Amino acid sequence: MAMAWVVALGAGILAYGTAATAYVRLPRPQPFEELAYYPSGQALRPATLGHAETAADLAWLRAVQYYGEHRRTDLRFEQMAHVFDILTSLAPRFVPAYVFGAFAMAQEGREFSDAERLMLKGIENNPTSGELAFEVGFLYYVRPGGRDLRKAAQYFEQATRQPDGPPQAARFAAFARQHSGDLRVAFELWKDVYEHSGNKLMREMAEREMTKIQEAIETGRTELAVKKLATPHVNVVKSNH
Amino acid sequence: MIAVLIARNTFREATRDRVLAGMAIAGIVLLLFVQVLTPLAMGQATRLVVDLGLTAISMLGLLVVLMVGTSLVAKEIERRTIFSLLSRPISRSTYLIGKWAGLTGAVWAITGVLGLSLCGVMAIRGSAAYGGSILQATYMAALELAVITAVAVMFSALSTPVLSALYTLGVFMVGHWCDDLRAFASQFPPTLARVTEVLANVAPNLALFNMRALAADGMPTSPVHLGVATIYALFYCTCVLALATAAFESRDFK
Repeated sequence: MAMAWVVALGAGILAYGTAATAYVRLPRPQPFEELAYYPSGQALRPATLGHAETAADLAWLRAVQYYGEHRRTDLRFEQMAHVFDILTSLAPRFVPAYVFGAFAMAQEGREFSDAERLMLKGIENNPTSGELAFEVGFLYYVRPGGRDLRKAAQYFEQATRQPDGPPQAARFAAFARQHSGDLRVAFELWKDVYEHSGNKLMREMAEREMTKIQEAIETGRTELAVKKLATPHVNVVKSNH
Repeated sequence: MIAVLIARNTFREATRDRVLAGMAIAGIVLLLFVQVLTPLAMGQATRLVVDLGLTAISMLGLLVVLMVGTSLVAKEIERRTIFSLLSRPISRSTYLIGKWAGLTGAVWAITGVLGLSLCGVMAIRGSAAYGGSILQATYMAALELAVITAVAVMFSALSTPVLSALYTLGVFMVGHWCDDLRAFASQFPPTLARVTEVLANVAPNLALFNMRALAADGMPTSPVHLGVATIYALFYCTCVLALATAAFESRDFK
């Protein structure tokens, strides 16, 4: 019996050492390799046997690690679009996944079209989410290389119509409409902020903008109310830790 | 009354089985282990805990059914203890219903313990508001397991433990694919579509008991959903146990 214990201990130490060495020396599969083989989340869904949300959560954990690893190193997120497509197909109501994935792809990944596609998928799956509508608007608002103020305003306005829309959506909508040149709609939106805001400073801001817009409309000088906003750029600093 | 006695004995036997205790401990350990992963979830810790907790409840419950339920009747046939039981004035339907009720009670006990543990974990995390939806999801999981237990008891009465486990697992998988089968049916030629639709309705519609997505957001389901799921479970279990009785009555133990 003592011999058996000695053999077990020896073999165990050898196995431990082999595993540790193999981990360092041999090529490892990348976290998303297995997911890359799945054509879509819809194809993966039946395999989860009713536990698609849990599978999505596990994919989320891997996605966060993937983002962190590439954020620290090469700033290349080639698998992000595919993985977030799978994740959001498994869990269509997982709103933070759309937001995080889209902003990571748009900003650090510099793939705005993928980001836009993901967010629009989110809106399709969550049409009554004011929180998501606001984030879509914000994505267009800070689009690297040139804001899309009309689309931003459209989604900010959508956010104001939902019960969970953030309170700042109304003034964002008014601001975006105003500086996209749509002064008449902007005036109505600022008027709405003035009439319904419980914040004195917000009401004062709305009143100021309404005055500017009115003057611009009456004089025909749109530059009184419309500013050319700075073009957003992304300046990513690699993390040292 | 006799069914209650058989159920009570089956419950006692199942709860004394180390498998059940092991599953309960495994479930609690898993719930605690999930806390280690929460820092990696980047703000989605609550969702992660609820999803993994509810999945653990379902999967561990299924394991109990597969390991204990599929040998429930077969074990008694093998040991010949069933002869002494059935030689008394006990109908085979009473026997099967008692066995099903006892094991369902044991599975519900473990489901209840894990569900309450998950509520406790959420309360410690400061998310006690999720308690209501978690309890509803646990109830739905318990209904799902009651249906699977009925299927397991049926196969156990007709086949060996290994085959019963495989058949039960197969029915479980098809039960989760009912919605996909209905979607596929719309793409098939008419005759095949009809056959597929019938299969989707004959298999247990286990997706009906799934409210994990709502629970992850802390949202309760409607009383109508709960009511329909309860009634469906009752009908399906009745049907399966009746089929089991019909097949069991014609079985000769000589």
